[in-house]
Amino acid sequence: MKLLDIKNLHAKIGDKPILRGINLTVNAGEVHAIMGPNGSGKSTLCQVLGGREGYEITEGTIEFEGKNLLDLSTEERAVAGLLLGFQHPVEIPGVKNIYLLKEALNAQRAAQGLDDMDTFAFMKLIRELVKTMDMDDAFLHRGVNAGFSGGEKKRNEILQMLLLQPKLALLDETDSGLDIDALKVVSDGINRLRGADRGIVLVTHYQRLLSYVEPDFVHILYKGQIIKSGDKSLALQLEAEGYQDFLEAAS
Amino acid sequence: MSRIAEKRAELPAWIADALPATAAAPNDIQSAAREQITQWGLPSLRDEEWRWTNLRNLSRQTLVPSAGSAVAEVPHPISAVLTDALVIEFVDGQLKTLPADLPTGLTLTSLEHASPEQRAAAFAPAATTPNDALLALNTASAQQGVVIEVAANTVLTRPIVLQWQDGVVPESFSQTRVSIQLGAHAQATVIESVLGMNQNLCWRNTVSVVTQAANSQLHHLSLGLDGDHHLLTDRTFVTLARDARYHSLNLQLAGQLIRREIDVNITDTGAHCDLFGLMMPRGKQVLDTHTRIIHNAPHTTSNEHYRTIADEAGRGIFKGRILVAQDAQKIAAFQDSRNLLLSDQAEIDTKPELEIYADDVKCSHGATIGRLDPEALYYLQSRGISFAKARGLLIVGFAQEIIDEAPLPALVDWLTKQVTRRLGGTTVAE
Ligand SMILES: Nc1ncnc2c1ncn2[C@@H]1O[C@H](COP(=O)(O)OP(=O)(O)OP(=O)(O)O)[C@@H](O)[C@H]1O
Ligand SMILES: [Mg+2]
Repeated sequence: MKLLDIKNLHAKIGDKPILRGINLTVNAGEVHAIMGPNGSGKSTLCQVLGGREGYEITEGTIEFEGKNLLDLSTEERAVAGLLLGFQHPVEIPGVKNIYLLKEALNAQRAAQGLDDMDTFAFMKLIRELVKTMDMDDAFLHRGVNAGFSGGEKKRNEILQMLLLQPKLALLDETDSGLDIDALKVVSDGINRLRGADRGIVLVTHYQRLLSYVEPDFVHILYKGQIIKSGDKSLALQLEAEGYQDFLEAAS
Repeated sequence: MSRIAEKRAELPAWIADALPATAAAPNDIQSAAREQITQWGLPSLRDEEWRWTNLRNLSRQTLVPSAGSAVAEVPHPISAVLTDALVIEFVDGQLKTLPADLPTGLTLTSLEHASPEQRAAAFAPAATTPNDALLALNTASAQQGVVIEVAANTVLTRPIVLQWQDGVVPESFSQTRVSIQLGAHAQATVIESVLGMNQNLCWRNTVSVVTQAANSQLHHLSLGLDGDHHLLTDRTFVTLARDARYHSLNLQLAGQLIRREIDVNITDTGAHCDLFGLMMPRGKQVLDTHTRIIHNAPHTTSNEHYRTIADEAGRGIFKGRILVAQDAQKIAAFQDSRNLLLSDQAEIDTKPELEIYADDVKCSHGATIGRLDPEALYYLQSRGISFAKARGLLIVGFAQEIIDEAPLPALVDWLTKQVTRRLGGTTVAE
């Protein structure tokens, strides 16, 4: 079943075209990796899917479970089951992590016609997740990402993902800046979400992540287009040979 | 003031007529103050400390002096939170009850029954310029109030709550005086909570005099959470002896006009004050705080954080003066004023004022006025949180860092709920 279907997507920021005809289909059960040099448009694609303001879609369509994603606001996309893991998670001092987690979960439940989760059950659930992410309970009571290290911010993104159990997770460089122990914890988290009814898109620069979370498909994004797709061996080839040959072949 | 200075507006008759022949202040002090207020009238925009705050609306009223017949109406909401609090009840400025069974080392005396020494201490600060007109008015008029004395070496674990129910009788006004005296090494928490009753117009002009002996520690809170139409003018004088620590939390959400002035005189080495404040004006509210910290001795420190969140046509005013006297070396003074404008009609005036006459001083100050961070809003929305909820979370978050300064965890939780409720949101229970 198609979860995400992107056809000929063009988008610009101001006058600058960034995405120039992206085609990508993610079916339930699949893990896709998107790689590509800096500035090729990977984060832009993620943010367009997330519904951030400031991008103009000039051509193309995006369907999420058969519905026009572009009709939905950012929060509607989220409660419909799309989760964006940020390359640079935002620091929000003053808003406790636990508040964000609880509001986010209850917003999703409300969209499904469910009541707020009972506080006791919520705390039990979140404490278990915190433990699996090898985090300390104290993180729950600190401001969202406020003063977190790079690795702590990324763990926090995965913590949110595991709580919200999205149908489609788009993880933008969640592995960047992680030491090997943290990478294992984050990869385990991603693998736990993996399932027949879910899709995962990993944006990454490193094959290292892909040896823990094996992708079904690997795509190379360059200058706003997917210039090559393949299976996990493509990532190994990239790691061994670099981008140059692919980029030359594309231009 | 020079002779050619323009003539000041006269003291409104309804205030002048209510001036008593004698009051609680020692007679010579009372009559001097009476003369000052008669001569000065109310402060006006021409007075330096009142440039942003107009009392014209007040002077145009005709309010009647509160008589003492009013009775307390509701159990104070804070008593449900601080169940062991020692509650002192005032209704329209009249002392109604003093708690019984006081802990050892604590003495509470009604101002009416105070000794000459207690009165002298309670009325020690003298008015010197028309900026101090309301102090003079209070000294000339106040008959009601309380003297709180904490003996040396006494550590009070139960908070003292002064609950002020104002406006039980509509269109009334009152003058109150509070004296808080801490002996050496004493520790106490005093929470002043003001309730504007029944949406009535009323005005209370109050003065607090805090004197802290060596190494004593006071948490002093001023909470204005309920009522839309009351006016409060409130001046607090604090004098700190060696190693004394004063911690103030000033949280103003309610009222038509709230003007607070906090004067801290740090007189000896090792003393420190923390001044934290949060004002949230909306509607046509004017919420104003002026603070003045004087570092009069070397090796003293101060730390001040004020935040304003102004919505609708609300107006927030913060002026923070720090004066470091000559020869007061090795001073560290920090001040920060952060402000959030939520509407185009709202207004925030903020001004630091540093006057430094010594050279070995670490002084930093900053003021920002901004709007909600769109990145943070988007991040929250990307987690499924609605725009309205996300906005609420960010505003409460902005306020939270000040609320967290409240001394008791139960109080922090309760205040968070009050602020959240005020923003029309539901609280996120844990
Ligand atoms: N707000 C913006 N205004 C103008 N240009 C932008 C803006 N954001 C991104 N860009 C440009 O769009 C292009 C794509 O950026 P994007 O962040 O999507 O790249 P990326 O593939 O995620 O790169 P990286 O691997 O470094 O994260 C870059 O040239 C970048 O400079
Ligand atoms: Mg990127």
